[in-house]
Amino acid sequence: MKKTKTKAPKQKMSGKKLAATIYRYRGFYLMFLPVFVFAIIFSYLPMVGIRYAFTNYNGIKEPVFVGLKNFQKMFGMANFWSAFTNTIVISVTKLILTTAFAVVVSLFLNELVNIHFKKAVQTILYLPHFMSWVVTASIFSLILAPTNHGLVNTFLVNIGVLQPDKMIYFLGSEKWWRFSYYLINIWKETGWQTVIFMATLAGINTELYEAAAIDGAGRWGKMRYITFPALANTILTVFILNLAKVMNLFESAFVLQNDAVLGTANVLETYIYYQTFNSGAIPNYGYTTAIGLFKSLVGCILVLTCNQWSKKVRDGRGIV
Amino acid sequence: MKAKTKSKWSVFRVVNGLIFIILALIIIVPMWKILVDSFDLKTAYGMKLWPEKFGLDGYKSVFSNPTLYQPLLISFLTTISGTALALVISTMGAYVLIQWNMPGRTFFANFLLFTMIFNGGMIPTYLVLRSLHLTNTIWVVILFPALNVYNLVLLRNFFEGIPASLFESATLDGCSPMQTFLRIVLPMSKAALASIGLFYAVAYWNDYTHYKLYITNSDLYNFQMKLRSVIMGSDMPQTAGDATENTVKNAAIIVVIIPFMVLYPFLQQYFVKGVNIGAVKE
Amino acid sequence: MKKKLISLFLATAMVATMAGCGNTDTPASTPASNGSSSESQAGSSEQTPAVAEVEKPDSITVMIDGTVPTKENYGDEFWKKYTELTGIEVNVIQPDHDAYYDVVGQTIAGGDWPDVIILSSTYYAGYAAEGVLWDMTDAYASSDLKARHEAKAGSAGVVDSLRINGKLFGMPATHGNGCVTYVKQTWLDNVGITSVPTNYEEYVAMLDAFTTGDPDGDGVNGNTFAVSAAGFAGKEAPYTNYLPEFYQDAYPSFIQDENGVWYDGFNTDSMKAAMQRLADAYAAGYIDPTTLTNGTSDCRNKFYSDEFGIFTYWAGTWANNLKTNLEANGLSGDLVALPPIAEVGAYVDRITPAWCITSSCENPEGVFKYFIEAMQDGGDVQFLFTYGVEGCHWSTAAETLWADDEAKAKTYAEGEFHFLPNAEKPTTAYTKAHIDPMLALVNLEAPENSVTETAKNAQELFNTNCKSAFIVPTTETMSEFNGDLTTLKNELIAKVTMGELSVDEAYAKYEADGGKAWSDAIVESLNQ
Repeated sequence: MKKTKTKAPKQKMSGKKLAATIYRYRGFYLMFLPVFVFAIIFSYLPMVGIRYAFTNYNGIKEPVFVGLKNFQKMFGMANFWSAFTNTIVISVTKLILTTAFAVVVSLFLNELVNIHFKKAVQTILYLPHFMSWVVTASIFSLILAPTNHGLVNTFLVNIGVLQPDKMIYFLGSEKWWRFSYYLINIWKETGWQTVIFMATLAGINTELYEAAAIDGAGRWGKMRYITFPALANTILTVFILNLAKVMNLFESAFVLQNDAVLGTANVLETYIYYQTFNSGAIPNYGYTTAIGLFKSLVGCILVLTCNQWSKKVRDGRGIV
Repeated sequence: MKAKTKSKWSVFRVVNGLIFIILALIIIVPMWKILVDSFDLKTAYGMKLWPEKFGLDGYKSVFSNPTLYQPLLISFLTTISGTALALVISTMGAYVLIQWNMPGRTFFANFLLFTMIFNGGMIPTYLVLRSLHLTNTIWVVILFPALNVYNLVLLRNFFEGIPASLFESATLDGCSPMQTFLRIVLPMSKAALASIGLFYAVAYWNDYTHYKLYITNSDLYNFQMKLRSVIMGSDMPQTAGDATENTVKNAAIIVVIIPFMVLYPFLQQYFVKGVNIGAVKE
Repeated sequence: MKKKLISLFLATAMVATMAGCGNTDTPASTPASNGSSSESQAGSSEQTPAVAEVEKPDSITVMIDGTVPTKENYGDEFWKKYTELTGIEVNVIQPDHDAYYDVVGQTIAGGDWPDVIILSSTYYAGYAAEGVLWDMTDAYASSDLKARHEAKAGSAGVVDSLRINGKLFGMPATHGNGCVTYVKQTWLDNVGITSVPTNYEEYVAMLDAFTTGDPDGDGVNGNTFAVSAAGFAGKEAPYTNYLPEFYQDAYPSFIQDENGVWYDGFNTDSMKAAMQRLADAYAAGYIDPTTLTNGTSDCRNKFYSDEFGIFTYWAGTWANNLKTNLEANGLSGDLVALPPIAEVGAYVDRITPAWCITSSCENPEGVFKYFIEAMQDGGDVQFLFTYGVEGCHWSTAAETLWADDEAKAKTYAEGEFHFLPNAEKPTTAYTKAHIDPMLALVNLEAPENSVTETAKNAQELFNTNCKSAFIVPTTETMSEFNGDLTTLKNELIAKVTMGELSVDEAYAKYEADGGKAWSDAIVESLNQ
């Protein structure tokens, strides 16, 4: 609110006045210097490599300029667009589901009174994050197996939902794959995501609760009118930040895929992986850079769009 | 009336507690399989409640491996120094980003956001690091992960919640930006520092990407890098796998997780404080 | 310009065709190699005559993966011993095994090329085409190494499998190795099969007995399945190697007929028949129902816990690993390595990694002679590369290993050769340094007991019953379509096997989704 309004006149400030303002903020510029240097060295200097997107470059001979040919090749690939759609759908759904679960779990964790119990639960919930995806995939392919070893199928048979000879191949059928994928992601990442929400909740001014208690608000009321709004800012920030990475979905999908489900499970990164892997040639870095650039542009659009929306909701302030 | 609400809430508490017990069980079941297998000398495919042939050989094999001690030391060194460095530069950067009236603030914000979305790719990054003589040194694994814009923005998000009046009064008292930062921002943000510090520490501890791409001298490898080769190594068809292979692998998976089982409860004291005071006052 | 680049890009893929190895020397594997003149593509500035004074290099920089002893596994001692034997200093660049090809790519792009580098067949072919590698055709032709390879049956064929248009840019140190089918002896006994199957009909009878009978002896019929694998089709050439008995003569990728004409094995009737066999076996419950989602370690663990009885897995050392793992689980470790059934004919030897010299090496002839050739000298250096360093990897001292564990303890007399415990995995012993003694290409006097009887038998069975894989050129069309094509083929194989599609429906879908068109285009480009 203030920011956008004060910004406009500032542009027109006289040079002298601007210099004075900058001088007043000199300490802050100094504090930003390390961040600036790190960003230049580790991010901006390597970015000169983005030019490879418009070349053929195999890391041996000098890159050869080919214009938009790498992009043409990418868009011309037979299943590119289906992989692209899969990526957006799977990745965004996953993001929404894990965030939503994490928020709900955080709100209820916050209501746990026994400190030891709370600590124990929190620690257990966040542990799956530290298991690699390869290990996670091998455990869940066992748990979801359509045999007597598969815990889930056995359970469903025992409670009479399934016939013993009609067990569901959760990871092996196109109908069930995404559902299973989301469940596994929720299992693995919900706890980790609560860390940031719990930290936010810890920062809530306790006076607010006292005031609400005086006004006669019950626990639900406090949750709804104090706790959740306090979280909203963080939820929005986390969500938008993660949108930037939506197109990067690779490992979790890769380890859970198999030949029979690629129609619904193949995402852009895995699609590119199979393409390169099966072509039998050394990778063309120009081509992979072009794909990287395309993903960045999509991420950029998603972030900017949501940031614009967040500015409307949050009095003109974006996420950064 | 008061009694009524109390009993109502205790029902809520019991139900809430039960829900979390069930949730915790759902989380544990898959991990239980690893735990059981890590103690079981008999290799089995399915799930078991208890080890069939109990033995500590898996853990013995992991810990009797003399080549693991130096990596462990490197892990501690890089995690502690890296996390400290990362927190210093990220908190300062985040603090600068809440100076709404500072000339150039928007530029700086976008400057950082841009690095989150665009990157130069593997080979150009390597060439830059090489020309700075950072490859094959411990510095590359300490410095490279130290600026994570995602974490910086989250910190900024926390700092934003600090009442502006505090800053104003500090400025009136004649505090420099650094003094305000040290006296007001940091003490007010313990939970934020704990959580973002945890994020950085986990990133440093679990890091293997930077090691495997930029370090070829195995004297500089960290613990994670080593255990990973134990966990993944058994899947290489040409390597020899012996009878304890599966047990050792599962033990290694558990060993990787142990530090975080210890670390989080310890950090949680910074998380619960605010809420706890509220609960006591109620 | 573009065209030129693309023609440069004609790298090669590892699609396997069959040529002789093992005890049969087929002539197919000698394509005019000796006659080809030596125009090394790039680098080597001087055109050295075939026989010349070769200068010994002072030091060599080598880039190697984890198949050569790492620092943790006495790598320093290993190279010190090499220096002792040859007088050459070695600078070692040994990235993490997982990231090896990423680091190789970075290093090549960075310009500081090592003198020597180990490459898998894909990178070998790609880098050879780009002029990164020194052409060692002539150096090899005039070397003693060639004579040593010719002295051992099958070795020359392995070297030839690395030739690209007759030229050689790298040297194999071993056979590629491959998979053989192991059958549990107790399962055979329990269902009363006295002789192992020699053809598919007998093989199916065995599958049936293992599935419907009680091979594991727990008193329950039909709670087992016969065979398992990690996926229905392999991820890499030779795609059929984990379920060879079902595929038999079928091959789902590009292959040459006896006239040298390329065709797509997926379009043949034998492939359709193979898919039908897979589907029938799957429907009958012979094949593990979770084959689709199995990882390799899942298969091993199922095998160890007696869930299934027939496992096609690596020959040699793994034969012994499977045995010891079964025994540790209280089962009989008695495995029969099945000679290929009549319809299969031969198991497939993979293309082996190559030791290459880069074109930036200043003295490639010297490096070839004193490093590449020395590694297979049939003497001390080869011994070092095969067994490692005395006191680190092996010993002849009188001692007891794993003395604290009665079941495991092994006592050796003075002078008895034995491998020492692995530094990284102290509960296991080394089985080799770099060259697997059972896969070596040059004869070397082996110390007694250096390989276990089980491993040796399985390896010998493989070596006498294998055909070696072959490098196939990649065309521009292939790199454009083969990714999508392979994905489609694998999907169809999986769906037919699992009964979601019939063979006819699968081939209808194959046509409809463009698979046939891609395949035809690639075949056409290969035959140009």
